[in-house]
Amino acid sequence: MKKIHFLISIIALIAISFAACNKTPDIDDSMLDGDKIFDPSLYDSAKYLVSIRIDNPTTAQINTPVLIAAHGYSATTFEWDDFRNYADAKGGVLVSQVLLGGHGRTYDNFKDASWSDWQASIIDEYKALRAKGYNNINFVGSSTACPLMINLIENNVIDPNGMRHILMIDPIIVPSDKILTLVGVLGPMLGYIESNLSNEEEGHWYQFRPQETLRELMKLIDKIRKDLENSIYLPSGVHAKVYKSIHDPTADAISALMIYKGLFNRDGSKIEVEMLDSKIHVVTRLNGRENVSSHDRDIQKKVFDDMYQILTK
Amino acid sequence: MIKQILLFIFLWGSSASVFAQSDSAEVSRELKAGIRFQKTQKLYWENGFSIDYTCSKLWDKRVHLGLSYTTSRLGSAINSNAIKQDNYLFNASYHFRHTKSLHPILRLNLGYFYADMENEIFEVLDHTAFMVAIDAGIYYQFDFPLTMGFTAGYNLSSGNGSTGPGSLYPIYYQLSLFYTLFKQ
Repeated sequence: MKKIHFLISIIALIAISFAACNKTPDIDDSMLDGDKIFDPSLYDSAKYLVSIRIDNPTTAQINTPVLIAAHGYSATTFEWDDFRNYADAKGGVLVSQVLLGGHGRTYDNFKDASWSDWQASIIDEYKALRAKGYNNINFVGSSTACPLMINLIENNVIDPNGMRHILMIDPIIVPSDKILTLVGVLGPMLGYIESNLSNEEEGHWYQFRPQETLRELMKLIDKIRKDLENSIYLPSGVHAKVYKSIHDPTADAISALMIYKGLFNRDGSKIEVEMLDSKIHVVTRLNGRENVSSHDRDIQKKVFDDMYQILTK
Repeated sequence: MIKQILLFIFLWGSSASVFAQSDSAEVSRELKAGIRFQKTQKLYWENGFSIDYTCSKLWDKRVHLGLSYTTSRLGSAINSNAIKQDNYLFNASYHFRHTKSLHPILRLNLGYFYADMENEIFEVLDHTAFMVAIDAGIYYQFDFPLTMGFTAGYNLSSGNGSTGPGSLYPIYYQLSLFYTLFKQ
């Protein structure tokens, strides 16, 4: 199987070299990539961002846990709809669904954005909530949102006691598909990579992933891996927990070990990690997936219950 | 850890038996030992040691046999949080234009990979692997007893998220420096 993979890689390399003429994908109006469908948070930001939804927060609201929920690479706010629905039904937690910069718009918007642009909207919402006096701010990120948050920690964007809990779902530091490590060489020949989406996922994820964005992704995770090797400390008063699928087809589970070895509580103690018996990348999002099992739903509920308990304890 | 040591001893033994067979007066032999610097594409420096042996019975010194041990413990994991991982390899290489100072080589490597998970919660992850890797490059034999080799390789056993160690990456580059211990 590995040999076949290798042979395919070599053949793909040669084929790509010759067939690199068409670097613009065929985009139609049913895709997020086109100029008809945009992420709904762009039309109705009040529904998604707590900082906009509540003009003048009351004392009770200021003390309510607010969870900034950031999605992964090429996704949209849809990725946190499942938890938003869960939290709304339970009450007691305000969820602020952030759309990463450059995402949820056209293919060209996505192509032109750097990883710093992706990160900017997390910073904006955090600062807006701080400015309004919220004192129980929390963060949950899936996949690429996790290295983006780790970068904010190392850059001291998060104030001491300015955040209570940082929760990471299937963080990516190491890609499962190691061919991504060659994106700097293969990328310009490829132009873009097409992803397989279910009918429901279409409109919420980019069908085509420009090589420029894959290079940004590789640049980000490579930087954060190296930074973790040199130790990163959480601000005082901040707790962190990682949830990681053991068999993750997108973000290799070894990413959890790298974070565990490199991200420390302020006092130098280890952060929490929970390994999940799952084959799904971002197990917290099941909406729109095909072939979801009861085991997947059990894991999702277990993680949601644990997150909710952490946020409200 | 015991398993990989036993495997390494086995590989040593296998090589030694080959060496012994060529131990006769008319056989010309060459043994080199040295250091190896290895960089994996977008991951660690894994440095270590290497031994290279050939004799006239091995296709008139076109074929070389070797052993190597490279580890992040002597590379990226020194004073850092990088994962401590070890590569134990037995290899057979074919040296083209082997009589020339500068000559290309093609090498097949078989061996064992081990990554230290350090905490039992990560023991559920694949962290050992049987390694199969091929590499190619150029070697230069100086007039004095030093040989330098640049090679690049592809590891067929890398992790893919579902199986295989996640810190075992496919593409690597090596610089090897050998000192000729004896040449008969």
